[in-house]
Amino acid sequence: MNIHTVRGIMDEMLQALLLFWLPVAVVPFGVWIFLSSSNDQRKTFGRFLAFVGIVMVCTSPWTVPSSPSTAAGHLLGAIIGPAVLILLGIYLISFSGHVPVGRLPRSDRKLGMFLSFVGFAWFAGMHWWILTPQIASGKVNDYWFVFWPTFLLLTSCLSSCAAIASLTIGDNRKTESNYMFMLSGLGFLMILLGLNVDGPLITTDDFREHLWLSVADLAGIAAGGLLSVMVFALVIFVYEKTLPSPVKIEAPQTAELEQVANVIASHIGGGVE
Amino acid sequence: MSGSRLAVTWRMMALAFVLPLLLILAIEITLSSGIEGFDGDEAFTRFANATLTSYTLLSLLLLGNLFFYGESRNRPLAPLVGMFCASLLGVAATFFFINLGPMLLEDNGSAQAQAIYNIVHTLVSAGAVAFAVCVSLGSMFSAITSQKRRINFTFEEE
Repeated sequence: MNIHTVRGIMDEMLQALLLFWLPVAVVPFGVWIFLSSSNDQRKTFGRFLAFVGIVMVCTSPWTVPSSPSTAAGHLLGAIIGPAVLILLGIYLISFSGHVPVGRLPRSDRKLGMFLSFVGFAWFAGMHWWILTPQIASGKVNDYWFVFWPTFLLLTSCLSSCAAIASLTIGDNRKTESNYMFMLSGLGFLMILLGLNVDGPLITTDDFREHLWLSVADLAGIAAGGLLSVMVFALVIFVYEKTLPSPVKIEAPQTAELEQVANVIASHIGGGVE
Repeated sequence: MSGSRLAVTWRMMALAFVLPLLLILAIEITLSSGIEGFDGDEAFTRFANATLTSYTLLSLLLLGNLFFYGESRNRPLAPLVGMFCASLLGVAATFFFINLGPMLLEDNGSAQAQAIYNIVHTLVSAGAVAFAVCVSLGSMFSAITSQKRRINFTFEEE
């Protein structure tokens, strides 16, 4: 390997670091600033950082074409449209209903349903029509095979769980439960269609293979996440165990109790208008 | 809710969670007399990589969380060091197992490339999980708010 090759590799790594990984890190940092700041200026700065990060991640396939990781940025750019439509639709449907605060006009409900439908149709078009995210002409973005089966499977599973939860825990929530069963059925139907109907670029064999891999992925994420939470709890538990027990204080005197009783009595009651 | 009823409820919810997957498996086995397209080795590799990567990433996230925990405790170093070691263990285990050979190495040439691929892969999967959670919870919320308002108590007549 000559020095020019080494320099080229270094340049590519530096490019990937600056134009992909740094923006990836900037997005949660911006969201954290936005959520944790009370100052308006800082909130705007956080929002700006997150926005710039997302834009840079989405454009990374063009700014760092040499890095294979940027396919994830390409996927983000491809799915951000339908995802926002679905989430916006759900927001409009939710807040045009019976909510005590921030209620939207009743007409927004129809708009919300329309947006959600368009979002789902757009996702379906990515599998069975010409909208499939392609890294190059005819080459499907590999991460689409990770995202799509995972999303469908988990939506179906979670909705089914929510439907049963509303039936068993909720009080007379049969209608809500039926809605959730319908959503679960929609996810299930799309999985069955994916297993039996070819798209222009995605075959049933591709989908089937990646569906089982997404099950392995989900199980792995659950196992790893659970393990890290257990380790975190163990670290806290061990540290708290080593702390000396707090100094015991004497029980309150009768005079102190009387004073407390007087203060409480002056704040409750309500007999006099 | 009594203890036994609560246990039944949890079991029903767990069963409902895995029901779509079990149905798909049942249909697949019935129609093609086996799980077509399932490669055990590849699935294990994916499971192990996902476990190691999600453990490491979440440990790092929780390490950051410990700073806030420390705020109310005069910033003790012991839990930070403990969690840092746990995160480091995840990184070391990932590189150790990837370097062992083809067991955890997918289509990538080196351990470093595989580790980076694992991170991106986990981020995409986590994105899909987060989106699915948002859609399911959001739909549940919209189903509840779209029903008629309930009055759960009656005012006493004066």
